[in-house]
Amino acid sequence: MLNVINSSEGVRIIGLQTNDYKTNQIIISMALPLDDDTAANALTLYLLRRSCKKYPDFSLLNSKLDSLYGASLGCNVSKIGDAQVLSLSITYIDDRFALYGESISSECIELLSDIIFNPNVTRKSFGKENLDNEKRLMIERIEDEFDDKRTYAFNKCIEKLCYNDVFAKNKLGTTEEVKALRMPDIYAAWKRILSTAVFQITSVGSADSEEISNVFTEKFQNIERNVCQLKTSFLTKSHRSARSEEIQPVNQGKLVLGFRTGMHNEEDRKYEHIVMNDIFGGGTYSKLFTVIREKMSLAYYCWSRLIVSKGLLMVEAGIDTDKEKQTTAGIINQLNEVRSGNISPETLDNSKKSLKENYTFSSPSSFAAWYDSQICSNRVIEPDEAIKEVEKVTVESIKECAKQLALGSVFMLSSDENAEDAV
Amino acid sequence: MIEFKEYTDELLGESIFCGKHPSGLEIRVTPKKGYKSSYAVFAVKYGSIDTALPDGKGSWKSIPEGTAHFLEHKLFESEDLDAFERFAKTGASANAFTSFEQTAYLFKGSDDIYKSLEILLDFVQSPYFTKETIEKEQGIIGQEISMYNDIPDWAVMFNLLKALYKHHPVRIDIAGTQSSIAQIDDKLLYSLYETFYNPSNMILSIAGGVNPKEVFEFIEDKIKYEKKEVPERRFIKETSLPVQKEIKQALSVNRSQYLLGFKEELDKPDISLKTEMASEMLLEILCGKSSNLYKKLLESGFGDNSFGSEYFSGYGYSAFLMGSPSNSPEKAIELIKEEIDKLKNNGISTEKFDTVKKKMYGRLVMGYNDIDDIANEQVSLYFSGDEPFSELKTCKQITIEDVEQRLNVLDENSSAVSIIVPKE
Repeated sequence: MLNVINSSEGVRIIGLQTNDYKTNQIIISMALPLDDDTAANALTLYLLRRSCKKYPDFSLLNSKLDSLYGASLGCNVSKIGDAQVLSLSITYIDDRFALYGESISSECIELLSDIIFNPNVTRKSFGKENLDNEKRLMIERIEDEFDDKRTYAFNKCIEKLCYNDVFAKNKLGTTEEVKALRMPDIYAAWKRILSTAVFQITSVGSADSEEISNVFTEKFQNIERNVCQLKTSFLTKSHRSARSEEIQPVNQGKLVLGFRTGMHNEEDRKYEHIVMNDIFGGGTYSKLFTVIREKMSLAYYCWSRLIVSKGLLMVEAGIDTDKEKQTTAGIINQLNEVRSGNISPETLDNSKKSLKENYTFSSPSSFAAWYDSQICSNRVIEPDEAIKEVEKVTVESIKECAKQLALGSVFMLSSDENAEDAV
Repeated sequence: MIEFKEYTDELLGESIFCGKHPSGLEIRVTPKKGYKSSYAVFAVKYGSIDTALPDGKGSWKSIPEGTAHFLEHKLFESEDLDAFERFAKTGASANAFTSFEQTAYLFKGSDDIYKSLEILLDFVQSPYFTKETIEKEQGIIGQEISMYNDIPDWAVMFNLLKALYKHHPVRIDIAGTQSSIAQIDDKLLYSLYETFYNPSNMILSIAGGVNPKEVFEFIEDKIKYEKKEVPERRFIKETSLPVQKEIKQALSVNRSQYLLGFKEELDKPDISLKTEMASEMLLEILCGKSSNLYKKLLESGFGDNSFGSEYFSGYGYSAFLMGSPSNSPEKAIELIKEEIDKLKNNGISTEKFDTVKKKMYGRLVMGYNDIDDIANEQVSLYFSGDEPFSELKTCKQITIEDVEQRLNVLDENSSAVSIIVPKE
């Protein structure tokens, strides 16, 4: 049963209570505008994940998690539209599986709340060594984005596509921003998060949502809240497409095409765009998979991805560098097929069936992720509603969405042909 | 009617139904109350380590590297509609993977489960290869190999296996190489298919919103295979000594990365579940997030949160692996070796052992949440000759002595390290 509690302004608690699963998962997400504080916010999250007043060091905290039958605690930073979302989540087994009658759930709820509200802070300091260590790890995390070529190329294309827009910003901030952070910045960031962030607490499992609601509502009673406004600007103006290239000593080239969809907000023909994206390059029956991979044998992967929260559509493929022109032409040809409505009733039906399956969740983590991703939306949508909306989409509306796709940026990570990788 | 037996774990509240089709095919069904979707996997005990076949004259005939994986790609095709197109009609999402020891074909879906199951059973049992479709696949797989070659985690692992193993085929890449896949033709694929895709060498495992009795009834007439002998797997015995102590490769990365491995000499090819779990517990004690080593690596600046470990084992191979990206792999390795020595000298505390055992139990319980994990676990258990729920029973039986005994494998002489360094 789904229970949505708006416990106070900017604090929403969503509980899906069920005994079908072995675990409970609780995610606390905090949304803030992507701005100059992005690096400080992200670093604060990682510092919070380290410890709390009761378990003031990460070995003690992790030992506690181990003793709670391997409860796992994770943190994550993401971008949803022009918002930075900081998330902390805990997953643990149900009390009914405890071998010695322990109350794992109560302890985990308390632990998660302590991590955010009772951190290991003394005289406004998280500890110099802790800060230095987390700064080092954060800088490495940002620099290591270079090592995952697929994500690297994808982010580079976004940067170009959203030139001069806040969405181009790295979700973790820049290394320079991280280097410049001092303890007062972090303490201020923690206070700012508590008072201004939009909070959503999502729980899936047998945990009592009332108990969760009571624990967190009480915490917010002592905080003066001044909730931030989250607004995303959709890039609707036309923009001349530009190609950029970077050459690296790699084996495979990565081609990324960035399109502006022309959506005015995230609800603007949302499901029409979702089905259009799926038919263009979502599933194994999509134009890109069946033609670029299966017919033309150019790539092992060639997909399109819709970023609804910002109205962008990205196409990516791993190819031989000298096949860039051929692949780009192939991708555009397939887009033109969608634009001209060359979609069989069968393909439309396949896509709808497949999307319906995507919205049919059968694990606590998929349900939790579905609700958690809605932190920036005022209304909570249930999977069944999405299924119904997808059902209504017509070929005509798909055509119209595809026609409005405007190529804004092409990024090619090319392979240096002379690359020889043995030392 | 296929006879089946119900295995139950009371505490977990789960039942798994196992039966044998007359052809020799094992079938395991795990019904999950409240789940709308189902996940089915049809797996064959044929992986990248199967690089030789008995020639019938007491000797072995070799097979090109990467053939199991190539066959996996090709089975999706048929003379008319390929398997992806057929699954698209039911909405199920289909996929497949090849590992060192198995090839698995799978789907997940909620509507028309029996239709999807029929497609799964049919396409795996209907090989169709031509010269043209093989050439086309060489292009796609060539790109797959090329993609993996750029991934540092992948490169550091396969380089280490090359440094640890001299002859055992675990040292070769799962997809093979551009030149090995060029040797593959339709005749070869058909002959390998005939040998390995044999019901006595296969399992169908399903988990989710299904009724076991219905599943067994449905499958009864869907198996076209005839009962055959299981192909023999070659046991290549190696000493614990590595081929080389260090292997380095330069890649386009920002930071170095290392993987340290300790190889174990095996007298027999199979690893028991107990050995596997005791090894995993030892790694948790040594390298887990609450260990001294993890703390030291983070505080010294030689490691990061991604530091992790794995007990890597299968038919005829067993090794302990640990590593992460690092600014100074040499210093990180020094710290690891110091902590191993300390653990050997001081032994494992009862408190630590109890906590880690609790953690392992908790993680095994968590493994019964996702239908894909549940069904895949049954495939692994079957191929290693274990009954359902064996992992939970074994976990309870493991003693501190079992874990301490595994410390012997962590010997300096049997270690090798693989390092990826940034390309200039």
